[in-house]
Amino acid sequence: MNGPFAGYKWAALVRDWDVFAEGFASTITVSFVGLLLALAIGILLGVIGSSRWKFARNVVRCYVEAIQNTPLVIQVFFLYHGLPHLGIMLPIFAVGVLGVGVYHGAYMSEVVRAGILAVPRGQLEAAYSQGFSYWSAMRHIVLPQAKRMAYPPMTNQAVSLIKNTSVLAMVAGGELMYQADSWSSTNLYYGPAYVATGLLYLAICLPLATYARKLEERTGVHA
Amino acid sequence: MKKVSAYLVCVLMVLGLILSAGCGSSQQAQGAKGESPELKAIKDRGVVKVGVKVDVPKFGFKDPQTNKIDGMEIDLARAIAKKVLGDPNKVEVQGVTAKTRGPLLDNGEIDLVIATFTITEERKQSYNFSEPYFTDGVGMMVKKSAGIQSLADMNGKKIGVAQSATSRKALQEAADKAGVKVQFLEFGTYPEIKTALDSGRVDVFSVDGSILSGYLDDSTTILNDRFAPQQYGVASKKANTALAKAVDDTIAEMKKNGELDKLIQKWGIK
Repeated sequence: MNGPFAGYKWAALVRDWDVFAEGFASTITVSFVGLLLALAIGILLGVIGSSRWKFARNVVRCYVEAIQNTPLVIQVFFLYHGLPHLGIMLPIFAVGVLGVGVYHGAYMSEVVRAGILAVPRGQLEAAYSQGFSYWSAMRHIVLPQAKRMAYPPMTNQAVSLIKNTSVLAMVAGGELMYQADSWSSTNLYYGPAYVATGLLYLAICLPLATYARKLEERTGVHA
Repeated sequence: MKKVSAYLVCVLMVLGLILSAGCGSSQQAQGAKGESPELKAIKDRGVVKVGVKVDVPKFGFKDPQTNKIDGMEIDLARAIAKKVLGDPNKVEVQGVTAKTRGPLLDNGEIDLVIATFTITEERKQSYNFSEPYFTDGVGMMVKKSAGIQSLADMNGKKIGVAQSATSRKALQEAADKAGVKVQFLEFGTYPEIKTALDSGRVDVFSVDGSILSGYLDDSTTILNDRFAPQQYGVASKKANTALAKAVDDTIAEMKKNGELDKLIQKWGIK
């Protein structure tokens, strides 16, 4: 049998498993740190975006629109190829974390903002009447309730974030997709390479997506 | 239980897909041994579909002004069409990259790949390769300002290579011999490597020498070193042995009557 999925091609894949393991480890690290950054940006800007300060709200709006309405590929290209011309040479790991973190941070902030808006205004007013400041009311009264609404879509953002780290393959990122491209374009065993790579992404994304669905069911958002 | 069985169904579907794809190609392989339906299919269609490069000046290059793809490898495709179909104009060319040329051959979208495709033992397992029609060495381009004269100056430098990457192996061996430590970054297309060289992400742009010359500009220079001769061959689907033979005959003929040399001269390839 000689086709894209011939047996000896699978054997070669098993022999070179460390190439894929290295990429997988890199994908997981970039995803994890990128997710922390996205969460931090999301919560901070989500709170500011739903606040009363018009100027700050507009700044957040600009950021969210600029990021959401340009492709991630261009943002990563800018970080990788553009910044060096301005004298800033970020290491590839930082390009990856900043790329997906800033991109998904924008989406996360919208999710957080929607969650905050879903909490009845009376909650904030009640907190004020008890002497809470804006920030402590947010932290102790509003955000815990918003969390329930925002959690499932945030988890979905995490899944997208993991998949989007594959964009780094275009800038020699060293993560899973890059390793798969590199390995399979040399020997042209692309069949096993991309099936295995797909399964590895599935192995981390499917549990997360399932978890998101469970959360949705629990909050009663699920249809 | 219900969930477990749902997952099982998913897994089985994926496996089925893989297996059916594998079986499909093996059936075609058996058919080819008889009366070569592949070659007949090309004759019935009346046109040979060839995958060529569109970003390698002199070999296969799409002129942005005229939108025409031209080059030495397109002329070679015409010669093969003349042999197989009796008319050099019965060629349909399509741009391919290092990443797409294998899959496009496998799924029958194209019949031949003539796209600076280096012959390797590993690749010969998957595809038929003709005898080489051109031999080239791996070359290196650096920024003039970098002060790099040869491989010996490249300790700790980053070398940008294309994902088809026979140049990577060749350079790694040469670097090991010279006791120089280098790091490789792979990119999907040649322009991307040039962009990386410009932005300083890589210190060296290394691909086959003849390809490199198309990217030379005022700020860069090509080093004199050449490594590991790369032999370009015309690739066809493994099952399509009849076409492979016709291609081989054409190239052998062109070598003998001097037409291949004329072609190389016509395009000014060193």
